[in-house]
Amino acid sequence: MKNSSLWLLLQKMRVPFIVIVVTYTIAIAGLISLDGIEVDGKIYRMTIFDAFYFVTYTATTIGFGEVPYTFSYPQRMWVSALIYITVIGWFYGIGSLLSILQDKLFISEIKKTAFRKKVRKIREDFFIILGYNNVTKKIVGKMLAQGYRVVVIEKNTDRVNELVLENYVPSVPILEADIYDPKALELASIKSKYCKGLVSLFENDNLNLKIAITAKILNAKIPLAIKSTTKHMTENLEDLGVEIIENPFEIISQQIQMLLTAPSLYKLVRWMHGRGDLRTTAFHLPEGKYIICGYGRMGHEIKNVLEKNNIEAVFIEMDAAKKNTFSKKEQCEILFKDADDKEVLLQAGTEDAVAIIAGSKDDTTNLSLLSIARKINPNIVTIARENEIENQALFHYANIDYVFMPSRLLIYKTIAALIDPIVDKFISHAMEQDEVWAKELLGMLKTKVGDNPSTYELFVDEDHAHALVERIKYRESIKLETLIRSRANRNIFNPIVALLLLRKDELYLLPDMSEITLEYGDQILFASHRDAIEDIEYIAENIHELAYVLGERN
Amino acid sequence: MNFDKLISGFFIILAMTLNFGFFYGDLSNIDLHSKYELFAAIVVNLIATTLKIGDKTQIGSVLLATSLVADIQLIAAATVWTIVYYTAGVLDVHTTSIVISLSGGALLANITSVILYIGETIKSKR
Repeated sequence: MKNSSLWLLLQKMRVPFIVIVVTYTIAIAGLISLDGIEVDGKIYRMTIFDAFYFVTYTATTIGFGEVPYTFSYPQRMWVSALIYITVIGWFYGIGSLLSILQDKLFISEIKKTAFRKKVRKIREDFFIILGYNNVTKKIVGKMLAQGYRVVVIEKNTDRVNELVLENYVPSVPILEADIYDPKALELASIKSKYCKGLVSLFENDNLNLKIAITAKILNAKIPLAIKSTTKHMTENLEDLGVEIIENPFEIISQQIQMLLTAPSLYKLVRWMHGRGDLRTTAFHLPEGKYIICGYGRMGHEIKNVLEKNNIEAVFIEMDAAKKNTFSKKEQCEILFKDADDKEVLLQAGTEDAVAIIAGSKDDTTNLSLLSIARKINPNIVTIARENEIENQALFHYANIDYVFMPSRLLIYKTIAALIDPIVDKFISHAMEQDEVWAKELLGMLKTKVGDNPSTYELFVDEDHAHALVERIKYRESIKLETLIRSRANRNIFNPIVALLLLRKDELYLLPDMSEITLEYGDQILFASHRDAIEDIEYIAENIHELAYVLGERN
Repeated sequence: MNFDKLISGFFIILAMTLNFGFFYGDLSNIDLHSKYELFAAIVVNLIATTLKIGDKTQIGSVLLATSLVADIQLIAAATVWTIVYYTAGVLDVHTTSIVISLSGGALLANITSVILYIGETIKSKR
């Protein structure tokens, strides 16, 4: 039996039921065996029905009076006794029922049942998100906007209520349960064919690992997006076969690397993530001396990047207690002082530094130390790490040159990796290229398809490219350029750039459209404007349009 | 000895025996069937049902089902009897046979229940 709430209720009501039945029986038995008063010359005794009727309204304290005839004294004596027995039995039954209805276990069983029903009803692709906080809240919003459904598991009652009050459309089922409980994951239909991924971005790396193991055991097929903040944990997750491993600090170091050496690439990535168009001038990190406040996990990553680029840097760590955890060499290089102090910043050489990065875990410290640094050196480039999404306005008004937000990076990364895996693939391969490559691509995109092109992914299979598949089946070779011809005039090419073509194990970055022939199962990422994308869709789906662009009919 | 098993076994079997006691006799003669025995059979059946409630196992569910069938049949018999007695004043042969045959159906359900109960007891190793 699946519906355990009903069983729980019934099991707990066993004793009250029996008490009611027994007290009624005693009362009825007494009434039918006692002599009543004389009517028409003979003694009237209650029938079973008379007695049942009388006990029913007496036990429930309704009390219609003595029917069918006035009682005799022996009957009245018995009735005074039975009132106490039956009324107490009845109240006990009602009381138990009410207390069970308020029982936490019972309520949680009811909620679980409702949750399971809601999730079962979902007949579209959905994602499971563990934990409801500011980061996952944004992810939920974006996923819903993209037409996916979301299921959330959260332990904290307040957060659960927060989600409920949010009134998402379509509704987001939420389960209040232990996040790593395999049963909770099963209730969230992790084994369903509609489940397209699971997101776990907790601060605690071990919790994330535990979730990854559980999820992989329950369903090895669904992609997991798991956060990891250390190299060791990343390796563990890789061994488990986790598809998307997100290290916010690594992402930040990649961004700094791009800002230092490849601003065009940075612009491209921003556009792919949907955070800006190709026009915006990218912020460029100057060369010179850097001051970095905070030498934790993020500080380490920044140090690696700066060292790779031969940039001089001074590190300040505010927590002196951390000193012993570093190597001897690091201990000499790093200032262990409170960076939120003018003397210390002067000592670190703020006057002749070109940039200062405030990378501590505390937003207030970051803001205040940057304002001090600005007073010392008005030309200094300020870079801050923003930890809490709620502080966005503060950072905005503080006029900081560049703000890194680990949680926001996680949001974009998760969305791209889960919803558009091909976009994520393109980004990760693009990042391996250099500035020259990026600048060239950027220029081509701008001249060909404008400043803010859309991206479109074509999957060559029966569902998305019916016409193409029909032809490919008969071994006809169709060039990629067929897709970018105009439906109005096949001699004209639409302004479309093919960014990436994925074929089983092969990957073509910026494939040559006149060379490459399409195969079944290809995934192609295009960049263009909406009209041209519509042409691709028509040509891929409609046999007549395809025949026209191939020059077979007019 | 398991006290719970003793109690539930007692009520399940008593439900059947009382049911049989009421059912046994001429189908057309109400005088051979005691109303008090029917009352007792209903009460004991209700208690037996309650004791079976909340058992989530397969056999537990089937036991509960048989008990519910017996309850419904017996209560139906008592209801028919009461209604006819208070409206017509006397039970004719037709109504009598309805009352008795309803209790006969309940008896079958009770027998099934006892067989299942015994089967389960034999199946268990201890």
